[in-house]
Amino acid sequence: MTKHWETFEHTADLGLQGWADTLAELFEAMGEALSRQICNSPIEQRKTVEIRVNSTDIETLLVDFLTEILNLFNFERFLTGRVRIKEIHDNSLRAELAGESYDENRHELGEEVKAVTYHQLKVAREGDKWVARVILDI
Amino acid sequence: MSKMNEITIEKIDDYRWRIPKECRSDMRVDGIIYADEKLMEHIQQEQAALQVANVATLPGIVRASLAMPDIHWGYGFCIGGVAAMDIEAGGVISPGGVGYDINCGVRLLRTDLTEGDVRDKLEGLVNQLFRDIPCGVGVGGPYKFTDDDLKKICLHGARYVVEKGLANEEDLEVTEAGGCLPGADPDAVSKHAYQRGRDQCGTLGAGNHFIEVQVVEEVFDKSAADVMELSLGTICVMIHSGSRGFGYQICDDAIKMMRQVPEKFGISLPDRQLVCAPVNSQEGQQYLGAMRSAANYAWANRQLLAQLARQAFEHFFKSSSESLGIRQVYDVAHNIARIETHRVDGKERRLCVHRKGATRAFGPITDQSTEDHRKGIPRKYHQIGQPVLIPGSMGTASYVLIGTQRAMEETFGSTCHGAGRVMSRKEAIRHAAGRSIDKELAAIGIFARARGRTGLAEEQPAAYKDVHDVVDVVDSAGISRKVARLRPLCVVKG
Repeated sequence: MTKHWETFEHTADLGLQGWADTLAELFEAMGEALSRQICNSPIEQRKTVEIRVNSTDIETLLVDFLTEILNLFNFERFLTGRVRIKEIHDNSLRAELAGESYDENRHELGEEVKAVTYHQLKVAREGDKWVARVILDI
Repeated sequence: MSKMNEITIEKIDDYRWRIPKECRSDMRVDGIIYADEKLMEHIQQEQAALQVANVATLPGIVRASLAMPDIHWGYGFCIGGVAAMDIEAGGVISPGGVGYDINCGVRLLRTDLTEGDVRDKLEGLVNQLFRDIPCGVGVGGPYKFTDDDLKKICLHGARYVVEKGLANEEDLEVTEAGGCLPGADPDAVSKHAYQRGRDQCGTLGAGNHFIEVQVVEEVFDKSAADVMELSLGTICVMIHSGSRGFGYQICDDAIKMMRQVPEKFGISLPDRQLVCAPVNSQEGQQYLGAMRSAANYAWANRQLLAQLARQAFEHFFKSSSESLGIRQVYDVAHNIARIETHRVDGKERRLCVHRKGATRAFGPITDQSTEDHRKGIPRKYHQIGQPVLIPGSMGTASYVLIGTQRAMEETFGSTCHGAGRVMSRKEAIRHAAGRSIDKELAAIGIFARARGRTGLAEEQPAAYKDVHDVVDVVDSAGISRKVARLRPLCVVKG
C-alpha cells in the first residue's frame, strides 16, 4: 500500500489524515476517508462520476474536492466507493468516483458531515511522503 | 497567572479571567473568559483561549473578545464566544463567528400537565414523539417546500409557517426577533442551499439536537417563573434544532466566497477559518443577507417542530393543545450575528454582535434602555428580562435563566448556551462500549429514543461539562440569573 488514511479526534468534530507516495494517491486516500465517514457499509461500484475541481491552491483544492464528494451525497444521494485521480495540479484536478446511489436497506449512514473546514488544514510534502489533514464539522 | 502558547491569562475575580491585549501585538482588545477555577482548568487544556485571543485581532472589535464558561474549541471562533464589531469603524462580520448551524437554538413550551399526570405514561409519550418528529441523518420531514416557498421562509421566517396555518400566532410574540430577522436576501442564497433545505424544514436533525419532555424540578426565582407560567412540577417541552443543511450550506458558501476578501481589505488573519468582510462591504452584505435567510429558516423549522410536538401531545392525551395549556415560553438563538445598538463607553454604537454558542440575555427594560433593547424583549418580559434557555446534555438538567442589566453593560446582553463538550464523539462512543446508555437512562427514569446507532453514546451525559457549573458561573458573575431547573423525562434524538 502506498496510501493510507486514519481519523483523529477533535473535541466536537472529526479529523482525517492521510499519507501517500504521490499527491494523486493522497487525494484518493482522503476522498475515500471522507466517504467512509458518510457511510460505513459496503459500497458497490455500479456507476462512475467524473468530477473536475478548480481552486486557488493545493490546500483549498483538497477542501473543494472533498466538498464535491460530500455534495454528491447531499444532492444526488451518490455514495463514493473508490476514488481515482486522473490528473492533479496545484489548483485543479480531475477525478473519477466509482460508487452507487444510497439505498436505505443496504447502507447505514455514519456521521452527518456538515462541512469540510479549513481549520488546521494541511497538504504538504514531508520527507518522501505526501501528508494531509483536514477537520470535518459533524 | 499562566502562560499558554503565546498568551497570558490573568485572574480578574472568581468568575472572570483576562487575556491582556498587550500579550500579542495583533490583539486590538483584551480577551475575557467567564469561568471558575475548575472550568478554567479544562479550558486551558484546549486551544480555545488562543481562539479568544485570535478573535480579538479582528477589525472593529469593541470592549473585548468574550468567552462564556461553556467555551470549547471551534472553527476560528471558539464555541461560547461573543464578539461585537463597530460597523462605522470598519467592523467585520465573519461566518466563522456564527458557525455552520446558523440559528441553532432552543424553544421551550410549557403545559398545564404536572409530573403526576405523565409519570406512568412516559414510555408511550416518548414513542409517540419519536414516531411523529422526523429526526436523524438524511431523514426528510412531512413538509415539502418549493424554492418559492423557501424564499418566503427566508424573508418571513416563522411568520410564514403561521400564515400557512401550520402554527400559532402567539408563538411569534415570544420568539427572539419575532421569529424573523428583517433584511434577509433570498437571492444571496445558493441553489445548493435551497436543494439541501427543501425537505428539511420541520426536521430535528442529528448530533446534539433533541426534543425533550421535561419537568420543572426547582424554582430559583418565583416571580420570574410566575411570569413564564413555570412552577414546581410543570411539564415542559424543549426543542433544540437549527437551520439544518440549509444553514450549513450557506456557511460553507460564505467561507468560500470570502477566501480572498481579507486580503482585498488588508486584513491579516491568524487563522484562515476567521475569514471575514467589513459589514459595510458587498461581501459582508451578501453574507448578512444569506445568514438572515438561514436564521429565518431555523425559526420556521422550530415553529414546525413545535407544531408537531403539540399534535403529538394532542393525539397522546386525546385533548386539545389549548386545554393542555401548551404555550410557548420563549425561543432563542445560540448561533447568530445580530445588528444591535449598545452603549459602549457611554456612547450608543451600531454593532454587529456575533454570538457563537452564546445566547442573547437582554436585561429588564429601564429608562436607560436603547430602542433595540426595548423592542428586543416581548412586552410580558419587560419587567423581568429576556428568558434564556440553556439545554443540558442528554439526561442532565436544563435551565431557564433571565438576562440582566450587568449583561447589557459587560457582554452586549449575552450569556452561555449549554453544557459544552469535553469528550470527542469517538471518545464518547468508546466510553460507552459495553454499556447500554438507554438502559442507564431508563434506570434513572428517563426514556430515550434515538434514530442513529451511536447517537445516544455520542451524546451521553459524561461527554459534556457539568451544566450546573456553567450556569452557576454566569449566575454568580451576574450576567444572567437562574429562574428554574428542568429535569428530562423523555428524550428524542437524531
